[in-house]
Amino acid sequence: MKKLLFLIPALAVTTAAQANYPINGFIESKCVIQSDTAGMFGNPTVDELSTKSADGGVMPIIRYDIITASKYKAVITTPTNFSASPSLSDSVDWTSTTVAGQMSDAAMSIFNTDKVIYNNGHTTEFDLVKAGSVWFNVTSEAKYGVGKAFPSGSYTALIVAECIAK
Amino acid sequence: MQNVLPQQAGLTVGSVIYRYTAVKNIEDDMLVHVQNEDALGNGYIFRETDDWSGLEGNNIYKIVPVGAIPLERWGNGSVEVEGTGTVLDPSIIYTYQYDPCFDPQTDPSCPGYVIPYDPNLIPVVEFNDPLQDELVLAEMEKKAKLEEEEEYERKMRIKKVKVDLEKMLGGLNRGAMDGQAAAQEAALFAMNYIPVSYTGSLNGGVYKDMPMIPDSQIPNNKNAKRLNYAQQQKHEEMMQYQYDK
Repeated sequence: MKKLLFLIPALAVTTAAQANYPINGFIESKCVIQSDTAGMFGNPTVDELSTKSADGGVMPIIRYDIITASKYKAVITTPTNFSASPSLSDSVDWTSTTVAGQMSDAAMSIFNTDKVIYNNGHTTEFDLVKAGSVWFNVTSEAKYGVGKAFPSGSYTALIVAECIAK
Repeated sequence: MQNVLPQQAGLTVGSVIYRYTAVKNIEDDMLVHVQNEDALGNGYIFRETDDWSGLEGNNIYKIVPVGAIPLERWGNGSVEVEGTGTVLDPSIIYTYQYDPCFDPQTDPSCPGYVIPYDPNLIPVVEFNDPLQDELVLAEMEKKAKLEEEEEYERKMRIKKVKVDLEKMLGGLNRGAMDGQAAAQEAALFAMNYIPVSYTGSLNGGVYKDMPMIPDSQIPNNKNAKRLNYAQQQKHEEMMQYQYDK
């Protein structure tokens, strides 16, 4: 009887089933980026492309919807080259600005005050310390060579907008 | 707000969307109030304040949900600046919705609709075919009997007139009449029922034909033709009556 009693737990151990049960999760971003206005280059002079309205361009506007404050930073990098263009034989000089041009809360005005610019002025970082929506206006200008005319054709440049968790 | 929001019963404002540009120096204090007075009381039914103090002026675009405030409570709106600074290009938009069943009595399909009268007060009237009513039937039968009697009397009167007329005409043949008939004839003549031409005699002689158509041409009479057709049509119509019964 003792043996038998000993054997039953032994058998139970050797026949125990085992399975893995996954735990799934999904985190929805609390910072959403939307393209509000598509940009367009104007061509005020033969050697210049510009998104300024004074130059015949359309300023691209990017909207950030910040659901949770102080948890993200917006990083916007303006173009330093064309992603598509005719063959260029000379260098292009890029200049740009990025500012919060419209906001859903007056307190978001501090985004412009506290913004950090680096990468030779091509990357701007905003600390999203307030929740709400903010519209960033981006200007971009490209000057070709020294007095050279841009070859005719289509030109495309990309703005990289990121929302990075702090 | 009467010239801003449609004056519709059941209208409620769900949110206020406004934008403006605040122009100011960073060091200045500036409060911007976007507000609407309470039309039914004191104070404001909506008041949103943006504090630009110590901040750089900028464009603001704000959506403020207000729940569902009835139209009646929205009074005059304004943008008020407190402090130093200027507001440029203000724009305020009210989003609203209308409940078509705000007054359930406007549509029977609305929940809560009440029939505007008490149906229990309306007596239920059973339909009775009047042609099956005994009194009506008796009256109809009585009327039919009267009509039948009148028809019989009418026929009898016609028959009597016919007989009297025959008797009168029979008086012309005096030789065939007996004394009683002669007396009746005399009585009738006394009543002047018989035209004088019946008893008078015409002067003898010959009445010659007068030439009425000098050119011997008889033109077609269109009126007579039309009359003939009309008579024929009337005749056929009358003939048809016997089959219509």
